Amino acid sequence: MIKTVEKIPNLYEPLRGIKVVEVAQGVAGPHCGKILAGLGAEVLKVELPPEGDWSRKFGPMIPSENELESSALFLHNNTGKKSVVMDWTNKEGFVNLQNLINKSDILIEDWDLKARESLKISKDFFVKQNPNLIEMSVTPFGLSGPYSTYKSTPMILFALGGFMNIMGFPDKKPIMLPGFQADYVTGINANNAIQIALWERDSISNKGQFLELSMIETLINLHQAPFQMDHGGNRQRMGHRQSALSARGFPPGVSSVPAEDGYLTFGGGSHPIFETLCLMLGRPELIETEEFQNVFKNPESGELMDKYMTDWMKGKTKQEVFIEVSTQWLLPVSPINTIRDILEDEQFNHKNAFQEIDHPMVGLAKYARLPFSINNKKLNIKRAPLLGENSNE
Amino acid sequence: MNNSPSLNNLRILDLTRIWAGPLGTRTLGDFGADVIKVSDPRNPISSEAHVNEKLNRNKKNIALRLDTKKGRDIFLELVRISDVLVENYRPRVMRNFNLTYDDIKKVNPNIIMCSMPGFGLDGPYSEFPAFGSTAEAMSGIVSMMGYEENHPIQTGMSYADPVSAINLVGTLLTYARHRSITGEGCFIEIDLSDSPLGGIGEYIVANSVTGYQRPIQGNSHEQFSPHDAFPSKNTDEWIAISITTENEWGKFKEITSIESLNDSKFSSFKSRKKHEEDLYEIISKWTQKFSSTELMELLQQNEIPAGRLSNYHQILSDPHLNSRDYFVDFSDINQRYDGQAIPGHQLSKEKWTPMDELGKSSKYILRNYLGYTQSEIDSLEQEEIIKPTTGDYFI
Repeated sequence: MIKTVEKIPNLYEPLRGIKVVEVAQGVAGPHCGKILAGLGAEVLKVELPPEGDWSRKFGPMIPSENELESSALFLHNNTGKKSVVMDWTNKEGFVNLQNLINKSDILIEDWDLKARESLKISKDFFVKQNPNLIEMSVTPFGLSGPYSTYKSTPMILFALGGFMNIMGFPDKKPIMLPGFQADYVTGINANNAIQIALWERDSISNKGQFLELSMIETLINLHQAPFQMDHGGNRQRMGHRQSALSARGFPPGVSSVPAEDGYLTFGGGSHPIFETLCLMLGRPELIETEEFQNVFKNPESGELMDKYMTDWMKGKTKQEVFIEVSTQWLLPVSPINTIRDILEDEQFNHKNAFQEIDHPMVGLAKYARLPFSINNKKLNIKRAPLLGENSNE
Repeated sequence: MNNSPSLNNLRILDLTRIWAGPLGTRTLGDFGADVIKVSDPRNPISSEAHVNEKLNRNKKNIALRLDTKKGRDIFLELVRISDVLVENYRPRVMRNFNLTYDDIKKVNPNIIMCSMPGFGLDGPYSEFPAFGSTAEAMSGIVSMMGYEENHPIQTGMSYADPVSAINLVGTLLTYARHRSITGEGCFIEIDLSDSPLGGIGEYIVANSVTGYQRPIQGNSHEQFSPHDAFPSKNTDEWIAISITTENEWGKFKEITSIESLNDSKFSSFKSRKKHEEDLYEIISKWTQKFSSTELMELLQQNEIPAGRLSNYHQILSDPHLNSRDYFVDFSDINQRYDGQAIPGHQLSKEKWTPMDELGKSSKYILRNYLGYTQSEIDSLEQEEIIKPTTGDYFI
């Protein structure tokens, strides 16, 4: 049992009483801070003057009177926090920051080696002064190793993390996932690291620690295929198809194909699913046809199967196909939803996935809640702070 | 100095299979949590392609027939002594076993139970089958992925699965801590289709106000140019180059010494964007003179964001990852796997165990955790309640 806490948490604010200082900017660190705030921690975002977190100026932008308060990227990643402006790059500001950190449980920072050098702080600088502190360092490549001085963007990380190489068509350029996925998964993983350290601190050791997390290593943990594949090669880019994890491959039909008003993705990869698909398409003869047993050996079977599926879906909307295939054939399938589709989707709304929040500059907007429910209830989130909104507190 | 693993006082009962669940519980195992994986003895673990081995290290495996009374009783005895139960079956499976949260709670009132269904345990799609690949389509992220407008393509790697896996870790531990303080357990639900929403949250906020849908645009970027993968001198080896400032663009022109890049049509972000096709053709001619690693080193030395599109061989021999001691070698099966990105007090790598074969720890758990005698274990084996068989199946 954990003995002493200042404030008793509850299921909907499980981190009540935990104090967090966040100096990290952009997506990875702030997304971690947003999760902590959503869990009930008190998160103080310390922003540099004059314009604060750089993501305040990064799109997509929502038209408003103040361009520093209208980035959807910032609004999403900073829900539930307070904001103070403090220039920790000068002496006085640094002392103020240090005082805040000394009273906190968690520090989220994204200082690379250069920044640490100019601030003259070693890895144990803050933890030494506040042994209770969990310092979370979040950088693209970490603080050691040959790439630690490298410049990065989400695409660079996706490339070095081995994901870009497996996405897109085999005869075209590889492509990346949209937005800041490398940063987001790292933000989630930073929260994981913090939760592990909090468990250790509060139930075993009574001590905080310095934690250094890199985006590149987080990404590489997310590969399903082993890096020594059984055929000795790489996982192949398969364009609109699922890519195989082993040389055995699987039958065709595991692809993204068009209905009347948009695309659907059909899942699969096993023979029973292929059999049902053939029956659904009215082509039972394909079940045993040799050319249709492995789409990787016989790419033409993939083209043909896509055509049969497209023909079968003629005149139907993606939602109609989804409901029919899921209920009558019990095959794993989903429409490729647009953002508007998900906001209007019955299931997401039934699960209360979005929360409408008002904001002084951009007004009402819908936000994704944290991706879990507790006793069938989603946690509530609060809006992002204006720059320096809480400086006087 | 504390060197014991961070989670060595936590026991996880693991009913997860395939990817999202096993990757999540693997992290807990890496940090010393006692992860007991329960598998069906009739579904032998496939070692094909080493996928299961990679995802199931540092776990004990017990093979148990949950559809028999005796097997279910043993499972409930394990529930009684566990802190957390995780499962990722389709919703009807746990109902059919009579192992819903209500059943579990009767045996261990303050356990934390977590389910990871595709689209949700309730609601209009709850009974629909789902995979990571269909859940990613459901989530909206795929609508922004591809080469050309109105032609989305799936990621090919079931993105909803790994994101759900990492969502699982922090959520479980948050509530384990909460339980340790208050004594209160709870039921957690993580839907595969819900997990990617956090990573596209900016597009959700924007769309809800302005109706904005980010177009499908390959690798092209709203604020950076050039921003794409370019070919190297080797077949299907590429270099990603992202120029984020005019300063970087100036340096890029200097290093490449390509005369035509000085043309005024490439002088600003806006004009480069307008003439991107010409620009990329020129850059591709230059990049094809070098290997992707040479290009990365040359450009990064000059502070230009660039990265090779590493393939699996390059990842395994990557100098950066190796200098950080990232990988783990399991010599018995001659495999090298990714280690653990999360820092802190993990099990020391010498103590990491490769995947338990099906039922490898059945007897150990029955004897040491539940106090079964050898003759009781023998009869369970005879009745095929714990007996492993052979075949080919993903756990």
